[in-house]
Amino acid sequence: MSSSNRTAAAGRGTGTHFPARSWRWSVSDIVVASVLAVASGVIFWGWNLSYHLVGNLFVLYPPVETLVHGMWLFPAVLGALVIRKPGAAIYCEMVAAAVSALLGSQWGLTVLSSGFMQGLGAELIFLAVVYRRFSLEVAMLAGAASGLTGGITYHWIVPMYAYAPLETIIHIACFALSGAIIAGVLPWLATRGLAAASVLGPLASRRAHREPRLSLGRSHG
Amino acid sequence: MAGLARGDTTRTRPDAGVAVTARGWSWTHAERERPAVAGLDLSIAAGEKVLLTGPSGAGKSTLLHALAAVLHDDEAEVHGQLLLDGVAPDQARGRAGLMQQDPESQVVLSRIGDDVAFAAENLAVPREQIWQRVREALTEVGLEGFGLDHPSAKLSGGQKQRLALAGILAMRPGLLLLDEPTANLDPEGVRQVRDAVLSAAEATGATVILVEHRPEGWAEQMDTLLVLETGGGIRRRSPAAAIFTDPALRQELGAMGLWVPGRNPLQELPAWPRVAVPPDGPAQDAGSVRDARSARGGMPVPATGEPLLLADGLAVGRHSPKAGWRSTQPAAPTLTDLDLVIRRGQALGITGANGAGKSTLLLTLAGLLPGHAGSLAATAELKGGEAGAGLAADPHEWRSADLVARIGVVFQEPEHQFVRGTVREELALGAQQAKVPGTSDPLFTEAQVTDRVTGLLQRLGLSELAEANPFTLSGGEKRRLSVGTVLSAGPPVLMLDEPTFGQDARTFAELISLLREHLDSGGTVLAVTHDADFLRGLQAEELQIGELEIGGTDRAAPGADGQPGGPMTGEQPGAPGGELFAAVRSLSWLGRRNALAKLIAVFLITAALVMTIDVVSSGVVILATLALLPLAGIRPAGFLRRIWPFAAGAVLAAWGTAIAAEESGRVLLDLGFTTISEGSIALGLALGARALAIVLPSVIVFSTTDPTDLADSLAQQLRLPARFVLGALAAMRLLGLLAEHWRTIGQARRARGVGTHGGAAARMRGTASQAFGLLVQAIRMATRLAVTMESRGFGAGPRSWARPARFSAADLPVILGGALIGALAVTAAVLSGAWNFVWT
Repeated sequence: MSSSNRTAAAGRGTGTHFPARSWRWSVSDIVVASVLAVASGVIFWGWNLSYHLVGNLFVLYPPVETLVHGMWLFPAVLGALVIRKPGAAIYCEMVAAAVSALLGSQWGLTVLSSGFMQGLGAELIFLAVVYRRFSLEVAMLAGAASGLTGGITYHWIVPMYAYAPLETIIHIACFALSGAIIAGVLPWLATRGLAAASVLGPLASRRAHREPRLSLGRSHG
Repeated sequence: MAGLARGDTTRTRPDAGVAVTARGWSWTHAERERPAVAGLDLSIAAGEKVLLTGPSGAGKSTLLHALAAVLHDDEAEVHGQLLLDGVAPDQARGRAGLMQQDPESQVVLSRIGDDVAFAAENLAVPREQIWQRVREALTEVGLEGFGLDHPSAKLSGGQKQRLALAGILAMRPGLLLLDEPTANLDPEGVRQVRDAVLSAAEATGATVILVEHRPEGWAEQMDTLLVLETGGGIRRRSPAAAIFTDPALRQELGAMGLWVPGRNPLQELPAWPRVAVPPDGPAQDAGSVRDARSARGGMPVPATGEPLLLADGLAVGRHSPKAGWRSTQPAAPTLTDLDLVIRRGQALGITGANGAGKSTLLLTLAGLLPGHAGSLAATAELKGGEAGAGLAADPHEWRSADLVARIGVVFQEPEHQFVRGTVREELALGAQQAKVPGTSDPLFTEAQVTDRVTGLLQRLGLSELAEANPFTLSGGEKRRLSVGTVLSAGPPVLMLDEPTFGQDARTFAELISLLREHLDSGGTVLAVTHDADFLRGLQAEELQIGELEIGGTDRAAPGADGQPGGPMTGEQPGAPGGELFAAVRSLSWLGRRNALAKLIAVFLITAALVMTIDVVSSGVVILATLALLPLAGIRPAGFLRRIWPFAAGAVLAAWGTAIAAEESGRVLLDLGFTTISEGSIALGLALGARALAIVLPSVIVFSTTDPTDLADSLAQQLRLPARFVLGALAAMRLLGLLAEHWRTIGQARRARGVGTHGGAAARMRGTASQAFGLLVQAIRMATRLAVTMESRGFGAGPRSWARPARFSAADLPVILGGALIGALAVTAAVLSGAWNFVWT
């Protein structure tokens, strides 16, 4: 499909018309990202109920609890996959963190720093691919990176744990693994599902379900 | 921009009507082959009132969105010109106001004064003029009786739409664009909104372009009728009165599936009730019922079929009768002392005022909500003879696999029910999920399932769309599919919640036709409805309930985050945000302080705690926080109830560290793979105390800080980007609504036979499907909200602020207090020797 016939409207003015690859956030981008982050807060809340049971699984050896902590990372990757604009991962993760702080998080105000750092991990991966690739392996890398920076934050930047070195490594590795799956594969599947349901109309990701699963060795668009 | 020069010459007064011109205007969405609107030539005079109509998919909404300058599509193909007073829509910001269908996404902010002020702020109206405009606009729509701080969530649907109108009027627009403004409202709400719109148009001289499925009541007041052609321009233009007088026009509109005042869309259907007694089996009862009706000239008579469901002294409520683990007392029921018999072959309409509890009653009868008192029992007839003899009496105790073959529920929003990727799988699901009671054996063989699906596809007219994604169907197709999914497992009882809201005449007739078939085959139909045509179409008995106080909150309940601490249903804890987004400012001393000052104070305290892991500094902060409770107007008992989950979290943190920290001191317990030592226990206790100390100050501050005030401070004082701050604020208002969607989607899944019961895998699949359903609704809502916000001038150019956020002298003690507590904590820890710096 040639883009030459896709022109700005005569009579619509040119002042606010952006090129197809604009990195400026539209109003739709901002509101959808915000609502996604808030909806993530609601999903956390629904999931927290199950966590009362799930959390007990790790009582014998708490360092592996992070195996399910990818749940707290998915807004970052989901936001980036859906919005596809710089800052989406950090913004969504931070707004989700702020919502959980407002609802009463057991980490108080420190969720803002961990939210920022978790978002940053994912953001760096999407920056590395210049916000042009949103395939499965990119999503998994972003989820893992989010777990990595999240773990680093918890142990060294705003320390919340005082584990021995081995336990620290296990704790962070499980966080990254969980991030790759829960905050990588699942958001990727969700984004494709949303695109297939045609609800992403005004967003850059509206064709996500027709994109190749992996972008290895391909040049995008 | 030739238009710019011409534009300014035609306007006489600032809010006079806008003239609309289109010249060969076409719009093709990206990804679409055909244009939504093509070659449109149009001229609407200033002050003209236009009723815009046309078949589904003729581009009515596209045109309204383009006029409101909210149609952005980087890859859309656009030709021709569309002009407001000679200028392009996006050069005429604030001249056109758009009202959409869904009341929930027409409200942006939590308090009605702020919501009306929002548009004026976006247009950078000077602060001193904004409140004047707000008061005028609220008076114009008849909402002046509420205070400016009244929570928008507590308004009814019709009031929300009038609030939206006020927000539009505050821009002083010359063009009112109304996209199905009353489709989601009950008759009273329709009347209110219609009167408010027409009187505002009269007062301001604004041009009106209205799209409305049901034009009766509107058409008399309009000047012009414009009929759009699918994929083309204008099919017809005539005086609006012709819709009453021109038989050819009435015929033409009727054939397009549109509502025409005084024309019965059921006239094309075969005569009903059928005279012939249906042949075999259970239908014989139904036949006799029908005969009785015809004998009385079609008037409904009490049904005489076998009883299926018996309610005895039943009390129902949206919220669980059980006290949740966080809520303090059980919720009160909405309706009490109901005695009801639901019979085979019966058509029953549940009517009554908003807030009376109609939907709650329906969900309870459907086994999706627990009853509060009295009893609800299914008869052996409904349970299904011997096979179902083992089932409990109360349908709420049934497995979803048993429910799906006995009671089918059609939700008001069809999308809540969709769980599969194609129409075909969606229709197969119910039949596949249905099980023989007490076993996990399927009720239908695979061949039977396939037969049922094929039959349903034909009956619903969806054969062509069998492989389509359900979410991509048109509104009417979704409605038919939602009924079809429920028919899949062949339940004798169908329960529907407002099935005709927002539907065109064709879908209405199709729905009636489907339900008549169900009745003819001996089935039962129970529907909550405001639609008298629907009741007549099924010759339904009417159960009018709840002469309860008007102005109850049921209608507003989807967003009823305004009720402090309102408990939710089931074992779930209070809705997130229950008391936080109450739109009622805390009146305590701390509640009246600047939000940023409080944030800085918490930041200082948190920073001190983060630096060290020790019991002393944490103890100082915990004690100081408790001492400050009176300043925040929080009672100790309430505070403890609120924080105990965090205290439990602190214990877990202590335990984790005791196990996983480096060994030091005497080893108390050797588990082989790890040890618990004196040192690790001490460290664990310190971490647990610190976790609690970190959370307490933020609980106090956040429970006394209004999100709107916080956003004002962040944007005006901290200079964070206003677009993002306000976007996040508007999204947070949806928190309660999203929680409500989460519950409804969960109920809809149980009704579809995919309840979140069973093994861990089934539970996870159920939760994942529920989460996906929530994401779909979240994005739909966000997209509509973005249109609302942008059509009120949001996101372009500088804005003003109706409420200034600034520090006052009284905020100084807050910041100093935070600094003092932080310093005390550090000093005490250092002096006592407990100081344990973390970054070493």
